[in-house]
Amino acid sequence: MFPARLLGLETEYGIHVEGKGAADLLDEARAVVRAYAGTCAGPWDYRCEDPRRDLRGFRVDQLASNPQDALYDHPGRPAVSHEEQRSDRVLTNGARLYNDHGHPEYATPECLTLRDLVAHDRAGERIVLACARRRSQETGSHIQIYKNNTDFHGMSYGCHEDYLVPRDVPFERLHAALVPFFVTRTIFTGAGKVGVETDGPWPETPYQLSQRADFFTEEASVDTLHRRPLLNTRDEPHADPQRYLRLHVICGDANLSEFATALKVGSTSLVLALCELGWQPLFRVRRPTEAIRRLSRDPEYRWLVEREDGRTMRATDLQRLYLSEARRCFAGADAETDGILAEWARVLDDLDANPLSTADRLDWAAKRVLLETYLEAEHLSWEGELLRSLDLEYHNIDPDYGLHAALVEEGRLRRVVEETDIQSALVQPPADTRAYVRGDCVRRFGTAVQRIGWGRIGLRVEERTHWVDLRALVDGKVVHLNRRLPEAATLAEWIELVRGGKKDAGN
Amino acid sequence: MLEIRGEERTQRPVPREPWTKPADEGGPKPPDVRRPDPSDLLRRMRRVDPDQARRYRQRSGQ
Repeated sequence: MFPARLLGLETEYGIHVEGKGAADLLDEARAVVRAYAGTCAGPWDYRCEDPRRDLRGFRVDQLASNPQDALYDHPGRPAVSHEEQRSDRVLTNGARLYNDHGHPEYATPECLTLRDLVAHDRAGERIVLACARRRSQETGSHIQIYKNNTDFHGMSYGCHEDYLVPRDVPFERLHAALVPFFVTRTIFTGAGKVGVETDGPWPETPYQLSQRADFFTEEASVDTLHRRPLLNTRDEPHADPQRYLRLHVICGDANLSEFATALKVGSTSLVLALCELGWQPLFRVRRPTEAIRRLSRDPEYRWLVEREDGRTMRATDLQRLYLSEARRCFAGADAETDGILAEWARVLDDLDANPLSTADRLDWAAKRVLLETYLEAEHLSWEGELLRSLDLEYHNIDPDYGLHAALVEEGRLRRVVEETDIQSALVQPPADTRAYVRGDCVRRFGTAVQRIGWGRIGLRVEERTHWVDLRALVDGKVVHLNRRLPEAATLAEWIELVRGGKKDAGN
Repeated sequence: MLEIRGEERTQRPVPREPWTKPADEGGPKPPDVRRPDPSDLLRRMRRVDPDQARRYRQRSGQ
């Protein structure tokens, strides 16, 4: 994928445990994560993280929290340390598995290609499911895991995208380019949802494109748990902060469709590449948080978006402005980029001609066709709790239950990766990013790990902690290092090799 | 137009394989709007507990 940039996906999974309620989920999600049976290392290095730092150059005093969560807190619950609560595990494939606010979360290792990213995203589903099954065997209670973004009662959880971007791209340009893009990409990133979860003067909506669109009230902010923004401004680069920022995108849906995942990340990466070239659109979308909701709920699929200059455009046409510029700049760069440009164009054409013709690629269309099939067969209408339960079951990652899994099994959804790619991603990191260094460390020297994170690893050697800094390893040079790692026979040699031959006294 | 800085970009050979595989190799197929085969899918859908979504409650995530 051009340009070569580190890409990642972080998915918070929904969890339902037989006989338990939402008040138990902090403990239950923790137990699921701790049921991971493979080789892993921890704890996580939280000292390098600061989610209150804002890309716009300031730091907020506190982050907004959802007051409804307090309903699920037990005042008398035994105190658990932050480390135990999170129960971070770093896996041999370079990924991170942990308990995030009562959701098992799987963050893929850093990837350079869409094929690797999709394979690792799918591997994450298998890993979380294996943990849940193991925990179920221990307790006898059935646990179901959902890759979705809503509980249908107003609580949402995310699937975040990560893109490494040069720091010298001005925030104003990112803002101008990304907000209209995020609003309108919903037509192919939406995972589909039965009903609406926010109050307001909205007409009855039996089915909408997006799981998440109901939950954005701000255009840009650092918050993620409450008063969520379309453009998240968290500034945690996990790389040299003078040279890079990490765009943390929280407004997308969790996609089951491999095609939708690849198109979502591939098109967004190309729009960021345009920003890096100095391009930005010459218009703004009017009231973007309202626009994304209206677009998501449009029952006629006209998808009209109002611009601040007074013009109205179809979302497909607005997307074509981005596509056209991306084609002009990046066509021919490599096979994966050409693939994204071609599929992006085809999806927009198909959405214009017959939106449901994308049911072989896009989650919202696949789910809608599935639900309509059921309603016709059972002579039912778009009403009732059953439809929400069917919606939920689309996202069940257990192939014995999930409706998406059944569609895949029948060959009705297009694939991006092979089964062998997913099997490999369960244990192997991408060979061309720093995730390989992290995974190799966990596999060979996991017991020496004192702290581990995206940007550095603390290793215990002879009673001293030696820090290995991964923040500079974000470009192509890391491939050469990755190839040489097997040369290091001991941990001390490994540390020296990763440090580029420089010895350090440790601390 | 600004140039992308070469030293920050990975220099790798252009992959030869397409983004997805051709239809005859199990990859992308033309848009197919046929309704799913009712036999298996409907059987699975009929098994879904109609109260599952009502019971499904989560904490807020990010």
